[in-house]
Order: sequence, then C-alpha cells, then structure tokens
Amino acid sequence: MVKAVADLWSGLRDYRFLIRQLVRVSIVGGYKKSFIGLAWMFILPLLAVLVWIVLNRAGVVAPGDTGIPYPAYVLLSTSIWGFFLEIYKSSSNVLANEGKLLIMKDFPKEVLLAEKTVVHLINFAIPLVLNICVLLLFGVRFGWASLLFPLSLLPLLLLGLAIGMIVAVLRIVAVDICTMIDEGMKLLMFVTPIVYAPKIEAGWLSGFIQWNPLTYLIGFSRELLSRGTFFEPAGYLACSLVAALFFLFALAFFRATAKRVLERLVNN
Amino acid sequence: MVKTDQMSQSERKVMISVKEVSKRFCKELKANMYYGIKDVIRQSFGLAPHNGDLRPHEFWALNGVSFDLHEGEILAVIGANGSGKTTLMRLIAGIYSLDRGAIEINGIGKTTAIFALNAGMNPLFTGLENIYLKGAMFGLTKKELKEKLDFIIEFSELQEFLNSPVGNYSSGMKARLAYSVAIATDPDLFIIDEALAVGDSLFKAKCYEHLQEYVKQPNKAVIYVTNRIRKVMAVASRVIILDKGTLIYDNTDAADALEFYINNCLKGLSEELRETRLRRVQEFEM
Repeated sequence: MVKAVADLWSGLRDYRFLIRQLVRVSIVGGYKKSFIGLAWMFILPLLAVLVWIVLNRAGVVAPGDTGIPYPAYVLLSTSIWGFFLEIYKSSSNVLANEGKLLIMKDFPKEVLLAEKTVVHLINFAIPLVLNICVLLLFGVRFGWASLLFPLSLLPLLLLGLAIGMIVAVLRIVAVDICTMIDEGMKLLMFVTPIVYAPKIEAGWLSGFIQWNPLTYLIGFSRELLSRGTFFEPAGYLACSLVAALFFLFALAFFRATAKRVLERLVNN
Repeated sequence: MVKTDQMSQSERKVMISVKEVSKRFCKELKANMYYGIKDVIRQSFGLAPHNGDLRPHEFWALNGVSFDLHEGEILAVIGANGSGKTTLMRLIAGIYSLDRGAIEINGIGKTTAIFALNAGMNPLFTGLENIYLKGAMFGLTKKELKEKLDFIIEFSELQEFLNSPVGNYSSGMKARLAYSVAIATDPDLFIIDEALAVGDSLFKAKCYEHLQEYVKQPNKAVIYVTNRIRKVMAVASRVIILDKGTLIYDNTDAADALEFYINNCLKGLSEELRETRLRRVQEFEM
C-alpha cells in the first residue's frame, strides 16, 4: 500500500509540469474570452454570499440549536458540502469526459485526477475567503484552532475522490449504477446535517444521521472553523481513517481497471 | 563480399518485437458494456480479464500479428479502413492492453505517439501556450521545453502566428505545430498515425526529409500509419500490410508492397473490373 502511494507520487512528480499546464488551462480557459477575466472568480461567490446576507436581514427562523446565526451556519455547511460534492463530480467524470484525450496520449490517468484536485482546491479557496468575511459579519468569532480548518477537510477530499474514482470507471460500462449514485449523492445532502443541526429529533432520520460519516466529517470542520471546538472527535477520527483506507482501495481499483475500461469508451 | 541492403537490415538491432499479438473488440454496444462490467469485476479481484475465445458480438481487431522493427527503420503500416492499424499503434504505445501475445521492447527510452494532432490542444490558447501544453503531454519538463522552444518554432514555421489562438489556425497549421512539438521530444520510437495527412506538400516534404535524417541517428526508429499509399513510396524502408486484423505482408521493397496491396484490395473482382479499378487508383495516387 505504501508502494502504491509512492508510485502515485513519483508518477505525478514526473508530470508536474503537465499538471500545472492543465490547471492553468482549466482556470484561465474558462475566462479567456472575458474582458474582466479572473475577476469572475471573485464576483460569482460574492453574489452567492449576498444572498445569505439578505436572508439574514430578513430574519430566517433557526431550526434547532446551530450555535451560530442560521444563515452563517448554512453558508458554512453548504460550502463544506460543496467541497465534498464537487470533487466527487469532477473526479467521477474524468474518464468519460477526458477519455478521448487519454486514448490519444500515454500519460498516466492519475495526472488528470491531480489536476482536478488542484483546480478544485483553487475553486474552493477563493469563495472560502469571502465566506469567512461574511461569517465575521454575522458575529462569528474564530479561534486559533480554526486555522486547522483546511487540514480538517482532507478526509472529505479523500472520500470524495475515492467514490469519484470508482464511479469514473463504472461510468464507462455501468451507466445505470452511476446515474443512481449521482442521484444518491444529491439526496445525501438532505440526510446530512447541513441545513439543520446534527442534534435534530426526527425519528428514523436521527438514526441515519448518527451512522452517516458525513455528519462527523462535515460537522467537525464546521465547528472547528466557526467555534474553534472539536465536534465528536472520536467519530471524526474513525471516519477519517475509514476514508483514508477507502481512498487507497479506490486508487488501487482505478489503477487496475481504468486502462481496459477506456478501450470500451465508444464516443471517441 | 558486397553487403546487400537486406543483410545490413537483418544485422541491425531489433528495437521492437511484436509477437502473435491479438486484440478483441466488441461490435455491439450493450454487449460491450456487459463484457466491460465483467472485466472490471474480474480485475477488482486481481484476476486477468477474459482471455478465452471470442464471445458473441466480438471480433479480432488484430489476430496473431508478428513483426520486428529494427533500429534505423521507417516502417509504414498500411491497410484499408478498419484493418487494425491504429489499434496496433495504441498497443505498441501502451495505451491499450494486449489480449494475447507479447510486445518486446528493447532499449527504447522514449516513445512519442501522435494519433490525433489536435488532441489536448486548447483552441482559446495561443500557439505558444499550446506548445507548452502539448509538450507537457508528451512528458517534457519545463526546462526541456525551454531548450527546445526555438527548434519547435523554427520547425513549425509559425513564428508570425505564435500569439494567435490556435482556434484560428487552419488544420494544416495545427498539424505543423503538433508535429513539431512531437518531433522535439526526440523519441527513440516515433509513432505517427495519419498525422501528416493535413499538412501542405512543402511541410510534408520537409517532414519526410527530416525523418530520413532522424533515423540515421543511433537507436531511433519510426512507424507511420497511412492509407494513402503514395506516401509509402516517399520514405518507408519497410512496409507491413494489415488486412482485417491480420498481417498479410512484410517486406523492405516499397514498390513491391504497393503492387501487393493494390492487388489484395482488388482480389475477388473480375479481371475486367480489376483493370479499371487499378487504373483509377493509379491515376489518383501516382
């Protein structure tokens, strides 16, 4: 297993220039024709954030004890949820969308996964800075422990990538399963404490929330940033370990199957 | 004793030895998906994918193909549409996996294969930016690319368009850019799959000349794929012909190869029809 990670790392090192180029194409390419260019990367999240400020002014009722103002809670939760969902989306489409390129070139497929990850981190970091400003505006006070927030997202990233890598392979040959998983991922948001507090009383849902690893992975990062305290640290650590192992398994699966499955990509 | 060309050929180092290589594909979409799922399941349990006989809807895209590629050779692979040329190239380049047989590689450090010239180019980025992008895809580092930049620009003859977006290039210009980057990777094995079809005659002539000089260096060989048979005359030092996945011809005499190829294409036709077709092909190609 150590070898698999070492292999991955050295493969990516050899192609770091390509990863940089591809990241540039992804980030800059989308705004190439625009006159204000990369400014859009700040304007779009700013608009999203304005919605929440307006909601707060309107005085939305808080469902359950969220600890911080409800709009701030939802803003932070959805951005962490988005962090998880977006890496799933981009990694799970990597073979279907880039397969045409992958059968023309012989660079390792993991290079594209690395590129997606870097682009994802950049796309997350910019709105995050704005969100933090809004949270300050809402009266949220950060502690020193809040600085650990980016690190605390790592298990979520690994989990998103792990599911993404498996679905990426299945997307070529097992379309039905992938459609189900895609829809399932959307529904997952409603059974994870994102728009409501983790300690909600809602019958069977409460039980599900308790066993949902995202409750811990998202809740821990959210509380770390917004209050500087640790939410269910044991649950978080256990879920993190599972996410890391699952990632290694998914990576091995991806490496074993991606090459052959690409031969069956029909739309080239 | 005077050495014949044939003899010096056989004394040269074998760079690639393709041995009884077979590759199956599936004609029907749903069966293709179904076999794919089965393979994925087998592979996740550490088993090899199905390697038995053909299943329903499958066919051999390549069937028991064997040949050697020697140092210094320019090998032309010809065959009608769908004869397995590109599949063979993808197997050699390591993009596809073998179903049967083996490809032995002897002392090849770098392989560069160009299939679709536009692959990986971004139309909104300039020629110069695309040189970096394409070069990186061929595995060049930033340092190597910087060193080779002058060569690429000079070879492509695109100096005045370097700062225009590639989307505005003609297909021939894109081909020139991509080809120049590919050759700048200085590969030991250079695979060109129909990549020169769109370049203008002047550029093509320059490429052929360059290729002939290129393979005179030690430990270099070129494989190029085409179904335009006139090209074969221009450069190839050896020709193989594929027909429905089977290798039917392997020789160093290009002219003889052409005659064989045309006759093979026309087999099964009546004497009279063959005459007219042959004349038409000759008028078109020569």
